[in-house]
Amino acid sequence: MARRSGYWIGFFLVLGALGAAPLVLPEFWRRFVTEILIWGLLAMSSDILIGYTGVVSFGHSAFFGLGMYGAAFGLLRFRPNLWLALAFGLLAAATVAAFVAYFSTRLRDIYFSICTLVFSQIFYVIIFTWTEVTGGENGLVFRQPPLSVPGWQRAFTPATLHWFVLSIVTLTYLALRQVTRSPFGMVLQAIRENESRTMAIGYDVKRYKIVAVMLSGLCAGLAGILYAVQNRFVAPNFVFFDVSGEVVIFNVLGGMGTLVGPVLGAAVFFLLREGLSRYFTEYYLIPVGMIFMLTVIFLPQGLLGFLRRQLNQ
Amino acid sequence: MSADAFPSDRGALVRTEGLTMRFGGLAALNDVSLSVERGGVHAIIGPNGAGKSTFFNCLTGVLKPTAGRIVVNGEDVAGLPPHAISRKSIARSYQVTNLLRGATVLENVRVAAQSRHHPWRLHRHYRAYHQVIDQALAVIDAVGLRGKEEDLASNLSHGEQRTLEIAIALATEPMLLCLDEPTAGMSAAETRQTVELIRRIAGDLTVLIVEHDMDVVMGLARTVTVLHYGELLAAGSPAEIQADPRVLEVYLKT
Ligand SMILES: Nc1ncnc2c1ncn2[C@@H]1O[C@H](COP(=O)(O)OP(=O)(O)O)[C@@H](O)[C@H]1O
Ligand SMILES: [Mg+2]
Repeated sequence: MARRSGYWIGFFLVLGALGAAPLVLPEFWRRFVTEILIWGLLAMSSDILIGYTGVVSFGHSAFFGLGMYGAAFGLLRFRPNLWLALAFGLLAAATVAAFVAYFSTRLRDIYFSICTLVFSQIFYVIIFTWTEVTGGENGLVFRQPPLSVPGWQRAFTPATLHWFVLSIVTLTYLALRQVTRSPFGMVLQAIRENESRTMAIGYDVKRYKIVAVMLSGLCAGLAGILYAVQNRFVAPNFVFFDVSGEVVIFNVLGGMGTLVGPVLGAAVFFLLREGLSRYFTEYYLIPVGMIFMLTVIFLPQGLLGFLRRQLNQ
Repeated sequence: MSADAFPSDRGALVRTEGLTMRFGGLAALNDVSLSVERGGVHAIIGPNGAGKSTFFNCLTGVLKPTAGRIVVNGEDVAGLPPHAISRKSIARSYQVTNLLRGATVLENVRVAAQSRHHPWRLHRHYRAYHQVIDQALAVIDAVGLRGKEEDLASNLSHGEQRTLEIAIALATEPMLLCLDEPTAGMSAAETRQTVELIRRIAGDLTVLIVEHDMDVVMGLARTVTVLHYGELLAAGSPAEIQADPRVLEVYLKT
């Protein structure tokens, strides 16, 4: 009981701090926090696969990218409406996720990862070359849709955009947390622990993995939509596989199988990049890589796992 | 197919016809036709490499047999995937312990029991399904692992892990339970307890057991089937098998 109320106290403290951020932070850091929330959502979505199901996706850039481009398509071709962008982005991400899920879940272990990687690169090439629809190399630029409900609308301010992103990320987190503790979520964790045993006790593992990939892809797509709305442009380099690699790094840094760990991982990664690129310019990845390796060796549970253990003592 | 097509089948729960499993040039099972009656303990014995585990792997869908049929309750199940076999009420334990090592004893058994209830619920907490948990606890109690519910499977002793293997299989409510060398590596006391457990289980369902310990086999089994280099060598009551000169020659002497 004490642990449960401790969790909710922590939850509301963090939520309160993130909610107050745009009121107290200067413009640069406010933007920074909003962006970390978006990348954090992408990392969290990938945790469903890496941390809970035990399969590593190297294709999350495809889901992220399709969410982005779907939103951009809706905004440019139809109306500059936030909910329309959301619907188009989710539809695009879901379609791609279904496609990738169908093929990748036929394979196991590293072959699953390679399959997701190959598919994401295929989508990268399609987006890069299909200039009429995607803008090709230059991407697409559009106006930010206003925050709207039927009968009321206002242009986003930096603060309302931050709160909008914060609410979507929080709601998605709460939903995913519920899913990971549901009967379905427990099957995913059984697959992570022992795939053949999970089959033997009557679970059609492939179907569970397909649903897991789709769920994960949908949340990654949501992150892509938020990014497009925040930045008013989309570009093919967000669909490139180095984005997928960063997402895996966020998970390992922050702590897999915790949902919030990967968000923390994203925050640390961007803070490191921000701090280190001042001294190392474009070579900042070298110290970041070294810190990453030290984490893997000395904090195998990630930062959150480490912090949890310190707090419990 | 109707049950009448095989009038001699009455009472047979599982029947194989010409079951063959080849690995390259090696026939791990060669034209094995046998039947297992409903109820009680039935043993499969044979020297190492005789094809006993391969037989279980074919029966539980881990391997797709090269040829032949496996008829369960009048239905050919050969080549079905493991999860589909499980849903035909066939469960197994493994010769090499095969658990959710990072999960607790309770979770190992609970998730097995859950497969018969509401596995596709995504929104409610798994602990809200009391029936599944009660069922798992009842199985844990029945196999004698009470008090270990919250222990990680990887922290159990070898004997306890072997017992957990059986508990997981039982939690799926099978009518046929296949145990692959359940007492392997157990102490004499643990073996005695496991034999007692199997005897109790066999009151409610059919047990097919691969076992090396002859005392265990002869004390438990209603029928014994002998495999040798993938071939069916003999089948009969324990007394018949013990008296069979061919069996004595290839197996009991070594
Ligand atoms: N997956 C496999 N691939 C190749 N050969 C196998 C495989 N499984 C079993 N065998 C071979 O089949 C034969 C029977 O093995 P097995 O069924 O494990 O014997 P038992 O359980 O009776 O000791 C052995 O010669 C073994 O090496
Ligand atoms: Mg064997």
